[in-house]
Amino acid sequence: MNDAARTSGIDLAFGDVSGLDEVVDREALRDVCRSFFDLFGISIRVFSGNGALLADAHEELAIHTYLRTLPGGRRALSESVDAVIRTTPDQPVQLEEISGAVYDVVPLVYQGRRVGRFVLGPYLPAEMKEVPRALLKVDPALDREKVREALASMPRVKRATAERVVAHLRGILDLLVFSSHRAHLTSEMHVVSVRESYRELAEKTARLQTAYDRLRELDKLKSNFLATVSHELRTPLTSIIGYSEMLEAGIAGPLGDEQLDFVQTIHGKGEQLLALITSLLDLSKLEQGVLRIEPQLLDARELLVDLAKTFEPAARKKQVEIRVEAPPNLPRIAADPVRIKQILSNLAENAIKFTPPGGHVVFAANETDLDDDDGGGFGAVLLAAPRRAVAFLVRDTGIGMPREELPKIFDAFYQIDGSSTREHGGTGLGLSIVKRLVDAHDGTIKVDSEPGKGTVFTVTIPEAESG
Amino acid sequence: MQIDFKSRELTVKLVYYGPALSGKTTNLQAIHSLVSPETTGRLMTLETRDDRTLFFDLLPLTFDGGAGIQVRFKLFTVPGQVIHNATRRLVLQGADGTAFIADSQISETRSNQQAFLNMQENLRENGIDPATHPIVIQFNKRDLPGVRTDEELERMAKKGREPVFKAVATRGTGVIETFLGLTERTWRQLEERHQLHEKFGLDPEVFLRGVRSRLGIPEAAA
Ligand SMILES: Nc1nc2c(ncn2[C@@H]2O[C@H](COP(=O)(O)OP(=O)(O)OP(=O)(O)O)[C@@H](O)[C@H]2O)c(=O)[nH]1
Ligand SMILES: Nc1ncnc2c1ncn2[C@@H]1O[C@H](COP(=O)(O)OP(=O)(O)OP(=O)(O)O)[C@@H](O)[C@H]1O
Ligand SMILES: [Mg+2]
Ligand SMILES: [Mg+2]
Repeated sequence: MNDAARTSGIDLAFGDVSGLDEVVDREALRDVCRSFFDLFGISIRVFSGNGALLADAHEELAIHTYLRTLPGGRRALSESVDAVIRTTPDQPVQLEEISGAVYDVVPLVYQGRRVGRFVLGPYLPAEMKEVPRALLKVDPALDREKVREALASMPRVKRATAERVVAHLRGILDLLVFSSHRAHLTSEMHVVSVRESYRELAEKTARLQTAYDRLRELDKLKSNFLATVSHELRTPLTSIIGYSEMLEAGIAGPLGDEQLDFVQTIHGKGEQLLALITSLLDLSKLEQGVLRIEPQLLDARELLVDLAKTFEPAARKKQVEIRVEAPPNLPRIAADPVRIKQILSNLAENAIKFTPPGGHVVFAANETDLDDDDGGGFGAVLLAAPRRAVAFLVRDTGIGMPREELPKIFDAFYQIDGSSTREHGGTGLGLSIVKRLVDAHDGTIKVDSEPGKGTVFTVTIPEAESG
Repeated sequence: MQIDFKSRELTVKLVYYGPALSGKTTNLQAIHSLVSPETTGRLMTLETRDDRTLFFDLLPLTFDGGAGIQVRFKLFTVPGQVIHNATRRLVLQGADGTAFIADSQISETRSNQQAFLNMQENLRENGIDPATHPIVIQFNKRDLPGVRTDEELERMAKKGREPVFKAVATRGTGVIETFLGLTERTWRQLEERHQLHEKFGLDPEVFLRGVRSRLGIPEAAA
């Protein structure tokens, strides 16, 4: 269709041949026709689809030589030659000329398309017994004796033999076209493939180069920005926290109750601000794709046991019970240990935060298939083919969430409104970071919740690939 | 598709795509041996190394479209090996429909997926919208151990929008059904885009019935 495919007469997109002359080597074709002529003594001519004569093996017949000496004979002969040349049949046909000799005109069909034809003859059908009347009347000056002599010297061919010769020649020509076509396509494909590969490579290199240049520039800008922001904000904050801690500890002299209360508030808010800055930096790194995931083979059960240990004090303080439910021998996952802990900690923190005293929180893991169940997808039968995965569940018996809120909680800064949430503080960044981290691991996160009953977050991380 | 008004001839290009060694060439070989010589011509294998396709295979099929029209199908295979992407993209150009031949072995899941995504990308690069392009999917090599069960496959097939066929190409099982499925999808789209019925008198129902009976499957497989 495009230039690449149109370098020659052959249409590469369809691998088609429109005429014999495009593919067949004329020399080879002539040799074939000549050897047929030598073998059977019958003239053969091969024409291309556009009417060009490609090969011609014949000998002037005595009857023709004689007829040409007569004006009427000349006329009749040229008429029959015209008729033969003009015939482009769908099926083989036989045409008769003035001398009673016949021509077989046979179409050459290749891959369902007429690409040319060949003409066998003229020869005398062996079945012909008498000199045709029309021949005798073709010219007043005709010498019957000469005609008889000339006819007697002509090749006589039985119908069955002629049919065999036609079939044989057809087969050979078909094979000739086929192998020439194949050779042509092969060499075309060599050229075009190399050109295409080169083009692809050149394009890729150029794209990579630009991307690389841009990334280097951006990267410099970004890491400068991030470093500056985190340094400029964190340094004074660390001082604020540090000094308020010292004040709290009484290093600068004893404090009154009210003073202590104020200092503790400064300290607490300072810590909150530091956490917020850290989260914001994480989020911006995730958004810019600067954050690198460095996967290691990890054991799901171990992760949950560690998680429980970390959150045990906070849970006890709130009178919330923590349980771990994970079978041994779960498949290992490939995940970044720091990031996977960040994911689970955020969920655990929420679960404990939103569960009233007396409730419990379960950290569970099990083996599952990672398949998204949105049907009707493009190539889903292949692309959604289940991959083995590990599901982490963080389940609580807390306040839960209304169904209509569920899609929104992964947005940055989104918190479900209502006095109950507000009293829990936080910034609403936790889950948006979790979602991005899960995506970066090729995983999925789902939430199921019922107000007043509790909430389950399910994070599914694909199994580490074995090969 | 190519239409030649002068010689009343219509050419449709179908491409067999898929990962390396999934059985694309074997599909064409099976069709070639199952279909009568008056319908199909020689199977052209362009170039191979150790039986792996390097350029493409090409099998012509010709059907009488009625109304004096010859309908020619050209079936191509692409080389499945990852490195031959440039060739795959070339072969895919101008495709009217694509049969994706997947290897049923579970161990091949990943390479099936990659080949499918690669097909999607190459379709786009050729200016063909994968979302509307007629595609059927064949799960070949059902005879091997380590394949998904029929039930599993059917459950997965429900999720996708492409018709799914099961095959053992080496035995010729499911191969004609896949070809017919692709032909039907492709033909319906060609009809929609080119009004073949109105313009050429090519009734899709009559034509498809004709193709089915020529291939020895008189009624549409459910
Ligand atoms: N057991 C089994 N083997 C098959 C089946 N179909 C194909 N094979 C074998 O798989 C191997 C690869 O088949 P091909 O048809 O050459 O694969 P291809 O998709 O053309 O591979 P490329 O040309 O490299 O892209 C051959 O050894 C086939 O005999 C099948 O249904 N069952
Ligand atoms: N386990 C849970 N039970 C009930 N509501 C929850 C639970 N987890 C999250 N939510 C709701 O989703 C909101 C968003 O959670 P997210 O973790 O993003 O923010 P946050 O916990 O409020 O603040 P941060 O995590 O930044 O400290 C919460 O404010 C809360 O309304
Ligand atoms: Mg939170
Ligand atoms: Mg092959």
